[in-house]
Amino acid sequence: MIKVENVVRNYHAGETVVKALRGVSLEIGKGEFLSIAGPSGSGKTTLLNLIGCIDEIDGGEILIKDEKISTMGKKEKTNFRRINLGFVFQTYNLIPVLTAYENVSFVLSLLNLSEKEIQERTMAILKEVGLEGMENRRPSRLSGGQQQRVAIARALVKNPEIVLADEPTANLDSDTGKEILELMKEMNRKHNTTFIFSTHDKMVMEYASRLVMLHDGQILSDEKR
Amino acid sequence: MKFLISLAFKNLTRYKRRTLITASAIAFGLMMYIFVDSMLKGAEYESVRNLKWYETASARILNEEYWENRFQKPLDLSISNPDRILSRLDAEKITATKRISFGGDLILNKEDFGEEGNLPVSVFAIDTERDFDVFEFGDTLMSGRFLEPGEDAVVLGSWMAEDIGAEVGYWITIVARGNGGFYEAMDLEIVGILNCPNPNVNRTLVMMPFDTADDYLAMDGAATEINIKLPVNADVDSEVVRIQNMLNGDSLTVMGWETMAKDFLALAEAKRGGTGMILFLIFIIAAVGISNTMLMAIFERIRELGMMRSLGMADNKIRLAFMIEAAGIGIVGSLIGLVLGIGADFFIVEKGIDFTSIMRDMDMGYRIQGVFRGEWNPMTMVKAFIAGIVISSLVAYFPTKRALKMDIPSCLRHQ
Repeated sequence: MIKVENVVRNYHAGETVVKALRGVSLEIGKGEFLSIAGPSGSGKTTLLNLIGCIDEIDGGEILIKDEKISTMGKKEKTNFRRINLGFVFQTYNLIPVLTAYENVSFVLSLLNLSEKEIQERTMAILKEVGLEGMENRRPSRLSGGQQQRVAIARALVKNPEIVLADEPTANLDSDTGKEILELMKEMNRKHNTTFIFSTHDKMVMEYASRLVMLHDGQILSDEKR
Repeated sequence: MKFLISLAFKNLTRYKRRTLITASAIAFGLMMYIFVDSMLKGAEYESVRNLKWYETASARILNEEYWENRFQKPLDLSISNPDRILSRLDAEKITATKRISFGGDLILNKEDFGEEGNLPVSVFAIDTERDFDVFEFGDTLMSGRFLEPGEDAVVLGSWMAEDIGAEVGYWITIVARGNGGFYEAMDLEIVGILNCPNPNVNRTLVMMPFDTADDYLAMDGAATEINIKLPVNADVDSEVVRIQNMLNGDSLTVMGWETMAKDFLALAEAKRGGTGMILFLIFIIAAVGISNTMLMAIFERIRELGMMRSLGMADNKIRLAFMIEAAGIGIVGSLIGLVLGIGADFFIVEKGIDFTSIMRDMDMGYRIQGVFRGEWNPMTMVKAFIAGIVISSLVAYFPTKRALKMDIPSCLRHQ
């Protein structure tokens, strides 16, 4: 479903060129639960951003569902993300003035669905992630784990084919982190959604059904479990 | 759209203090706009009324060469038979009165004034029977009495009287050139002091009976002007044309008050422009405040913005959300400004502001003696309210545009 072909990404810091990715190639199938691991600066987030169509490729190509990312314009990418991709962030990135329900439902409002459908789907996903009864709470009244559950619900509510999670447990204690990973795994099984998440935490890597190790912008190993 | 509006208004409550401070800048600008507009409109309205009531009347008939030489007040460029014209105007039911306007030296005698002195003055010789039908001096008498036909008497404006230390019963001498160029000295008793609401008139007014001046100046019944009062809702321009047509062949001209008061109207226009500039600056300051608030609001929410863009929210919708949020500040500010503006308007319409001490020594061009009263202007309020919201919303465009120039990964990394 996702083909990463010899992808290169460079960043410019003044006159210095930082080579974040140096010819990365990778194929990811539907329903995989894949972890991109590696130390800080290895290129994990860059690779996720490129697959997530929120960053620009300097060389190579990424194909998602046979669509070339490099040829997409800004608007096309926005539309593509809106329909096909879900994101989970390390710092949850919930909107503090909105309730859990509103934080999730806003993604559906971008898809111009009916009020009824938005309500049904939002309530259903909140129930699935274990937040039933907490719909009206604002993020400030939720724990870190609960906030990340809202973020997972937000990523999944539109039934995307791919969910990208950048260090989703890094801000959580280990028990809560495990709960979140269990939840992600469950969602992956239940919805057959492809989950790609980055981490440098060994415990998190254990949950992955496939582990891609990056080092200095190159794939060090690609191990299926 | 519903979500964008809901999000924008919820975000407004996020930074209550900042929202209120910015809104108060808009409120202040709006209130000032409504207040100053009301004051200017009121001042203009009253000035125009006082101009017509005490200076120009609605229109004036003059010898056709008089206007060009009006500063010399030439008695030879007069209307030779004003009574014939007045009869024709009476027949047309047009209210009018004749006057002789002349310049002279007012000489103060030691006996009454304590010291001798003189000053140049403009004198109006009025038809004591008809003048009050056209001009509104009827209720301006402060002390003494009005003029009676044929007497050697004057009435003075109260500021004029105050400046020279005159009182009713004092005698003055006016030396003027008569028709033909001879000098004539007129000893006249001050019989009344008028307090005229038009400061220009009150500062310079010297009035004497028409027939007295006619004798002294050898006018032989001639007048320098015939002043006409038209109904309040009359179309002055078309009336001027109608009267001019009536006078064809008499070598006379008819002028509307607007032509005679060109200087005042130009000055009022300039004042409006100047005040408009000040108000524009106040609005600019408010707009900078909103822009700054939005800039802070946007840059504090850069990560949120990155998240929304990641999830597929289009840039134009994000921009719209921030513009709605700024419009929300505009609505709060405009509502407060409107309420304050109406309050300020109520005060200035009902009570007014007393500028007597300033107006007494300074000629601001307005024909108002002291109390500036406002005028209700609902259209200005509506315009200002809408402008407050539209400007607020527009100034949010630029900081949002700037923030949206950042790429999404940078937004998500933003601390």
